[in-house]
Amino acid sequence: MAGKKLQRKPLKLWPRLRRWVESPDWLTVFLIATAACLLIYLLNAVFAEIRPYNWWGLTYGTLASILMAGAGLYAVRRRMVKTALSWRLGRNQTWLQFHLYGGTLALLLTLMHSGFRVPSGALDWWLWFLSLWVTASGILGVLLQKWIPKILTSGLAMEVVYERIPELINEIRGKSEQLIQTCADPVKDFYRKNIAVALVNTQPRLIYYVDVTGGIQSRLKQFEYLRRFLPSDEKDKLDRLELYYRTKLEIDAHYTLQKTMRWWMYTHVPLSLVLLILIGFHLFAVLYY
Amino acid sequence: MSEQDNLEVESSEAKRRAQYKDRWNSFGVNPNILKISEKLSLEKLKEYELFQDFDDELLGKISPDISIATWKQNSVLFEEGTYLDLAFFIIKGNVEIFTSRRQEQAELSRPIFDLSRTVMMEPTASFKTGDGNGMGETILQSQVKKLQGGDSRTIFLSSVDVDLPVSGRIKLGPGEILGEIGAMSGWPQSVTARTATDCELLQIRVAALRKMKDESSALQKRLDQIYRQRSLASHLKTTPLLQKCDEAFIQALTQKVELIPLKPNKALFKEGDPVDALYLVRSGFIKLSQQFGEEPIVVTYLSKGMTLGEIELLLDDIEKWKFTATSAEYCDLVKISRADFRELVRKYPSVEKLLWETAVARIKETGSSKKNIGQAEFIQTALETGLVQGNSVLVIDLDTCTRCDDCVRGCADTHGGRPRFVREGDKYENFLITKACYHCRDPLCLVGCPTGAIRRANIGAVVEIEDSLCIGCTACAKNCPYDAIVMLDTGTAWTNDNAPADYLIGKARLLASKCDLCSHTNHGPACVNNCPHGCAFRVGSLEAFRQLLERN
Repeated sequence: MAGKKLQRKPLKLWPRLRRWVESPDWLTVFLIATAACLLIYLLNAVFAEIRPYNWWGLTYGTLASILMAGAGLYAVRRRMVKTALSWRLGRNQTWLQFHLYGGTLALLLTLMHSGFRVPSGALDWWLWFLSLWVTASGILGVLLQKWIPKILTSGLAMEVVYERIPELINEIRGKSEQLIQTCADPVKDFYRKNIAVALVNTQPRLIYYVDVTGGIQSRLKQFEYLRRFLPSDEKDKLDRLELYYRTKLEIDAHYTLQKTMRWWMYTHVPLSLVLLILIGFHLFAVLYY
Repeated sequence: MSEQDNLEVESSEAKRRAQYKDRWNSFGVNPNILKISEKLSLEKLKEYELFQDFDDELLGKISPDISIATWKQNSVLFEEGTYLDLAFFIIKGNVEIFTSRRQEQAELSRPIFDLSRTVMMEPTASFKTGDGNGMGETILQSQVKKLQGGDSRTIFLSSVDVDLPVSGRIKLGPGEILGEIGAMSGWPQSVTARTATDCELLQIRVAALRKMKDESSALQKRLDQIYRQRSLASHLKTTPLLQKCDEAFIQALTQKVELIPLKPNKALFKEGDPVDALYLVRSGFIKLSQQFGEEPIVVTYLSKGMTLGEIELLLDDIEKWKFTATSAEYCDLVKISRADFRELVRKYPSVEKLLWETAVARIKETGSSKKNIGQAEFIQTALETGLVQGNSVLVIDLDTCTRCDDCVRGCADTHGGRPRFVREGDKYENFLITKACYHCRDPLCLVGCPTGAIRRANIGAVVEIEDSLCIGCTACAKNCPYDAIVMLDTGTAWTNDNAPADYLIGKARLLASKCDLCSHTNHGPACVNNCPHGCAFRVGSLEAFRQLLERN
């Protein structure tokens, strides 16, 4: 069913933008809040020096901590689905939007808290660095999550559940092995030399990031040469083998791209947790001393 | 009777109630039911005229789906807008049928010949003569009058297979059946039924109804005759095509038209067959396809209220059908012969104008489909994947889906750790049409369930499975055309104590599992609520899906 097209009206600018911005309302609020923060900071900087420990600095820091903690609650919401749904704590999408925009605004407030200076203390420096890292990795994640699904949809005919990939590869290998038993020697040789190794496990390839269709087509070309020399019944078998192989390549593409989205989490989540812990230490230190 | 005997009777009654509590879920827990029978014997069934045409084998098959219930006076059997998967046959007492203002308001914008909401009743002598309820003018007749008078405030009571009097209330008595068409077509009811006295009712589930209709041409004829006598005239008169026709013409037409039931995937006619009639679709979907090269392409589909054949009959030089018409599901059609059609056009020139308008629209649509293969494929896909059938189809926008599986996780967490769907299915453009239950308008899965475990939840649109009644026979999973039901291995085996049949003892206990739309929770479908990117949607119509596609 892939590739079916319904006649569509040409898209205007705003609908195009909406494809990238999930919630224009959240974006609007974020832009207004960012502008307000910057304006306040500028006015503030004109009339007084901003230090992390003075009244203004502490206010910015407190707001940043609250927003970061709020953004961190998204992870809790994801792990407590039943409670969140039955207590009607809002849609997951709303939480994610707060996580994204609230987290980004928290970075701005953190920078305002430090007066846009690089802190000198070890703990402060780590807090500053981790805030930057977590926000940057978060933005990277957003970009990946906008970009990769579009590659997957545009270039691949099939849809694969990531966790089922090993099972599917086993199935394809089994079917291919079964088919190859009935094939003539040239096909058997071709299979052993060129195809069998690809059906053993997943084969991530960088080309899939750039050109998922081309990445697959280039590998399928090897079937063309052999096909010319085969009788019709062997051609049919080769076609089936090619279909299995193509399916495997599509699975590889899914694996490569879906894995990227999963692995990205490791650049973001653990350090976010460290950041929240360090914020706790920081608050304790400020309040205690 | 001794006290001991009384206790035994009570215990037996309690047992029977418990036995039927879930099977007749919509009613079993209803305190208005005074008594409900055990499974009826063949002899008992044969006492009723309704079952006398059937052989023992069929009666044996359908008997688990039939019960006799005694209802208190003033009990609501069903309400407007609710779904029924059974019909009632009145043994004793009277049932009152009425509509409320709320319904009338809701119907204002509905098409006229819309059988989407139906209640079917058998005629009785008392009913035919009006039963003292003033059958002089009926609601449908008054609507037609208003329409003819150009009254824009006309209220259309679509799909009521009985002409209710203007007072909006009638009484049905012994020998009458109600709810049959609603149950068979899978559409919600358009009237409310309430017991006027204590009533003894035969309750026949849709699985039994289908078998009865399939097996008995006599029953089919009888139901057709009822429809012809009681409702056809009004329905014909409320079709735009025949609104201007006089009463005598319509009455004559009701005796001439042919009523055609079709099972799924049956050809009404094939491309090249001689054009013999005009068809009106009463219920279901008809697929029109044309040969295009070596492959047939679907040019359009017809749903209830639409007509077929006007182009061919209007243009004298078209003698053969240019397309093949096939039923996409259970369908009912009204066939008006070429001769009657000619008479209609000759007598009422205004009809011809209307027919031309419909014909032009059809020509445009089929022409567009042939020019734009995508359009044809869209219709084909919609019919194949069940998008036209679904009350609530889960579709996922793959352009924004990050494959995080939070939808599945939400489903699993709501259903004790076992998700009711997998994120797999057919792709159409950038949408994944998942294999989560569609909650079909005509749920085929309900047909054939031997225990009644699968049913409409709370007489609503949601189709659900009662785990405690499911014996894992796989009938529903096999009947589902969309593979939306999976059989789970519970990890236990049937024992002497709980096996419903001896052959099951020792075998693995399977459980049918499907989406229940989270109907037992206080939130909407968890899959949609838990999607962090808002890319999961529930669509209830083809138009809604088309809008989603166009939005992107």
